[in-house]
Amino acid sequence: MIHSLELTVQQRPEVLERVLRVTRHRGFRITQMQMRMNDDASLSLDMEVDSERAIELLSNQLNKLIDVTQCKVLLPLSLQQTANA
Amino acid sequence: MEPGQMIRGADAVIKVLAAHGVTTVFGYPGGAIMPIYDALYGSPVEHLLSRHEQGAAFAAVGYARASGKTGVCFATSGPGATNLITSLADALLDSVPMVAITGQVSTAVIGTDAFQEIDVLGMSLSCTKHSFMVTDVNDLIPTLYQAFEIAASGRPGPVLVDIPKDIQLAHLEYRTPLLAVMNEPQAEMNDIDAARALLAEAKQPMLYVGGGVGMAGAVDQLREFIKVTGIPSVATLKGLGSIAHGTPGYLGMLGMHGGKAANLAVQDCDLLIVVGARFDDRVTGRLASFADKAKVIHLDIDAAELGKLRMPEVAIAGDLRQILPALAMSMNITPWQAEVEHLSRKHQWDYQHPGSLIYAPALLRRLANKLPEDNVVCCDVGQHQMWVAQHMWFRRPEDHLSSAGLGTMGFGLPAAIGAQVARPDATVVTVSGDGSFMMNVQELTTIKRRKLPVKIVLIDNQKLGMVKQWQQLFFEERYSETDLSDNPDFVQLASAFDIPGRTIFSSDEVEEALTEMLAAKGPYLLHVAIDDAFNVWPLVPPGASNSDMMDEMEKQT
Repeated sequence: MIHSLELTVQQRPEVLERVLRVTRHRGFRITQMQMRMNDDASLSLDMEVDSERAIELLSNQLNKLIDVTQCKVLLPLSLQQTANA
Repeated sequence: MEPGQMIRGADAVIKVLAAHGVTTVFGYPGGAIMPIYDALYGSPVEHLLSRHEQGAAFAAVGYARASGKTGVCFATSGPGATNLITSLADALLDSVPMVAITGQVSTAVIGTDAFQEIDVLGMSLSCTKHSFMVTDVNDLIPTLYQAFEIAASGRPGPVLVDIPKDIQLAHLEYRTPLLAVMNEPQAEMNDIDAARALLAEAKQPMLYVGGGVGMAGAVDQLREFIKVTGIPSVATLKGLGSIAHGTPGYLGMLGMHGGKAANLAVQDCDLLIVVGARFDDRVTGRLASFADKAKVIHLDIDAAELGKLRMPEVAIAGDLRQILPALAMSMNITPWQAEVEHLSRKHQWDYQHPGSLIYAPALLRRLANKLPEDNVVCCDVGQHQMWVAQHMWFRRPEDHLSSAGLGTMGFGLPAAIGAQVARPDATVVTVSGDGSFMMNVQELTTIKRRKLPVKIVLIDNQKLGMVKQWQQLFFEERYSETDLSDNPDFVQLASAFDIPGRTIFSSDEVEEALTEMLAAKGPYLLHVAIDDAFNVWPLVPPGASNSDMMDEMEKQT
């Protein structure tokens, strides 16, 4: 199942490695990724990940990373539309 | 120091350690960390020289676990740092607060494959709670402060700080940084209410207690909770010592090599209260059938553990010292308590062992009864480790140091060194096996150098016993590479490090030999020769439910 995540992370040289490592190790495959530098020494990272596992298994672990300030799981697109309706 | 006075980065490192109350550091010098060792020279911070960086880092783990303080170790770049990796992984899986400081080649040559350069920051990502590389001397002090804060806060863990040599040599003004305190999760009141409602309706509740209780400093709150509720209990390998020996309804360790009563009671319960534990596979056996009639209340400081393997009915992330008192209530569970008591009596350990051979479980039981109140028992990994967990008992979790999560052979001897440094007045015993002992045997020199009175009980079956046991049971007795009959003469080996000792072969020597060992003023090695036919029982076979434990009788039929 595909999930979308929005992360805000500290701008540190190894921060992407940390996020990628946890994502792989916890059993998720990244299918899409986009990164932007923000003005406040943070990075915004949007990811789509694919796994049979519950997304909380990943988001909880990403949230534990010291350099991750926020990890938001977006509702699947179909549910977002229902919510907006 | 005068305001505005400049000092070297290396001196600042030692000052930060002193400011955190660090009195002892474990380590091994080398090229890229020489400025820090220079700053250490003549400083009030004591350094214990190991003979391998893995030994230094395990000593720091032992120090931390026996004292509850953060352990600190030093290593140089390259091989020094790679040698730390196993111990960092061990500290990560067992949530041990630790700060590892490594020297690194100078910033100008990082990334050029310089002599003794390896990307330690990259290697640290999977085996630390967090890690830093300092590339600006002005970040050095705040980074070290942050490292100590991260290591000890929340769910503790190892933090690595990699410091290039030029940063160690650069000058800075020492300033105490302003600390950003980590946010700890707070229990929600409606979760507390929901948990109390489950407790109120439970008829057959069980407590499943893990290492988190000791790490949280919540042993007293747990004991009070048990006293008020009367709920029967079991503990994980790391949870041993949290519940006092002899507490009514306490059934000891659960899991693969847990007691039958412990496993059966958990399988039968209708409410499982999980306190600072994480449904490890060695605990649960087949997860789908683990306590499958039970509702679950899961309490832990680490929110990521809640629902990771078993979805709880109520999950509370927070400080166990606050949650446990908030949940305590008197309960009417007399029939269940009687049932648990019956299970406990039915499945007591049997120490009657005919013949003159030494029966290790009986020896360890006797040792537990003989130890003075202030003691620490360390062990390595394998059969002897499970016998220690089954047959010894501990006053507090910090009195039992066992490599639980990572299961690292070679843990015991250096961990005992750290424990003895942390608690110089305690009787520190390390129980090892002939396989594990050889994995960090070089640390005997550290014992010799500091004249540390560590007592070593080396249980020797001339086998890699646990692997041999599995080969016997599950691999058609094909004993691939588990014969260790060419072991050295261990007593002679110890004597080369000025450590006296003796070998015993017969059960009638046990009592006197233990007395002699415990009476020794300095270190001592008791070499215990046992028969390789002894295995660890009972056992939940791989893939089986905890209800289906195998014991020795079944194996023979």
